[in-house]
Amino acid sequence: MDIATLNDALGRLRAKYGLPQGAIVSGTPWPLLQLPSGQEIPLLRWRAERRFTELKNLLDGGTLEGVSTLRFATFRDGGDLLPLLAAELDLACHLTGSRIVRLYAVMAPGDRACNVILRLENGVSGCVECGVGLPPGTAPVDRHEVIARRGVASDRTVDTQVPQSSIYLWGEQGARTYTDTDFELYGLPDEGIWTVRAAYAILLHPELGDLWREAGCRCLEQAKAALKAAKQGETVEF
Amino acid sequence: MKPVKIAMMGMTHGHTRKYYQTLRDNRKLAWVASCAEDQEAKDIYELYKTGVPCYLSAERMLEEHPDIEAIVIASANSRHLEQMAFCASRGIHILSMKIPTFDMAEYDQMVAMVEKAGVVCQIELEMHYNPVVRRLKEIIAGGELGHICAIQATNITLSPVWAFPWQGSPEQSYGRRVPLAPGDPRFRGGALCDHPHVFDLARWLTGADFADVFAQVAPNLRPDLEVEDMLLAAGRMSDGTAFLFDPSWSRLEERLRVPAPGWEVFPKRMEVNVTITGERGMLQCDCFGPNVYHNGAPNDRYTVQYTYFDEWIGLIDEFVDCIRNSKTPQINLRWHRKTIEFMNACYSSIASGRPVRI
Repeated sequence: MDIATLNDALGRLRAKYGLPQGAIVSGTPWPLLQLPSGQEIPLLRWRAERRFTELKNLLDGGTLEGVSTLRFATFRDGGDLLPLLAAELDLACHLTGSRIVRLYAVMAPGDRACNVILRLENGVSGCVECGVGLPPGTAPVDRHEVIARRGVASDRTVDTQVPQSSIYLWGEQGARTYTDTDFELYGLPDEGIWTVRAAYAILLHPELGDLWREAGCRCLEQAKAALKAAKQGETVEF
Repeated sequence: MKPVKIAMMGMTHGHTRKYYQTLRDNRKLAWVASCAEDQEAKDIYELYKTGVPCYLSAERMLEEHPDIEAIVIASANSRHLEQMAFCASRGIHILSMKIPTFDMAEYDQMVAMVEKAGVVCQIELEMHYNPVVRRLKEIIAGGELGHICAIQATNITLSPVWAFPWQGSPEQSYGRRVPLAPGDPRFRGGALCDHPHVFDLARWLTGADFADVFAQVAPNLRPDLEVEDMLLAAGRMSDGTAFLFDPSWSRLEERLRVPAPGWEVFPKRMEVNVTITGERGMLQCDCFGPNVYHNGAPNDRYTVQYTYFDEWIGLIDEFVDCIRNSKTPQINLRWHRKTIEFMNACYSSIASGRPVRI
């Protein structure tokens, strides 16, 4: 992602909504929000992604009651499994308002796919399928399902296996799809939109800064532990 | 930039509540007051706890807030002429709901009074501020599909009449009591009046106007309504583009007095889908999808949880820009006139059972 473009977009939102100063800077594994004080906060962009906000609203607002199990899956066209898994682990915590207390992970031969079963402190069970084996240039494939005593919620519609798009175009250059989700940030790639929205969220709610720093560290540590244990066949307790 | 002092009026339109968050959040605005049509509308408004004072008289609102610069007229269609005149005569800018009026003489009165007053009058056709529609416009304008040959579109929803009863009243929705057709006990004023969006989009995307239309109604899904709830329209545009539109209330609903979770019976309560065939390709477009889905409370039915779309943000941005920078809104009264003419032609076709040349 081009950091200058992200900061242009953030600047527009800051001006429009009267938000304090802050700039997006490069970071590993995720970009950071740098405040005038010098503080840096990891931009956990999935926490600002609208589909996950809606899923969280369904849980927090009582539309789903008695959450039992989370079933997450995420697949990319290469890259590192660590940040991919860390994001999913943090998402499990974010959606449920709990923390992971136990993991069991299995790495596939070739180290391009990993399966994780997790337990949250509130008793909820969950799993994450993650992989980086999609062919280069393939759009991410993922699915997040929350299963409760009352209701199931998902970011994928029933009777489908892959993400749907808003526009399907069949032209002389073949088939293409488009999904645009944010009019104010139109034109940015998805990860860019949610990175800017994450920075916006922190500037709007500064109290998120400490929470996100802590969550960012914790999910990376847990993902590292999971990937290490994935080759040893042991559970990890936190 | 000095924030625009804005108010809302009527508070009986189905889109009223969609403005609340945008009017509060946008720093280019200061939402100072609201004025409800009656005590019932005021009571419902107060359920949303906006913190913005609500009056029962527009005059009283302006006495208390004489610096109001712009008003969102969020009322029944039959109230628009009087309320536009109220605003225009005071030099107040107007954001009109999607149907200013179906009476073309009244419509021309509106154009004249707004132009004489020199105020901005933007029509609320919010699909123009939908990110999927923005992409659709870019693809079409980019020429990849070539000349457009055919458009099929749905603008289908549940019926809002139980929460907004004026939409089931021929007089308040269509403006007068006109039978749909000889021998048909129903009257103009139903689903067609609620769904101008795809007609407007077809004009926008092709740059052409409607040439002719054949429309017909179906038996109502809600036999207790005295207005139409199911219809189809087909025809050609002036550039030869063939079209087929479904602007029905074809998704059933719980009969709630105030919109709330569980309103829908069919999982997706609102759909605007567009199919376009061009000389060199084709596309299909879902302007309100994908989303998040659940089958939880209150009714344990599979439900689309609308996730991404807030057209009112861009719509209000344009309105403010037009006010502060003396611009004409892209969807203004003059542009929209031909869409209203087309909707009337649909009703004429339903009445005659014949195609109508426009």
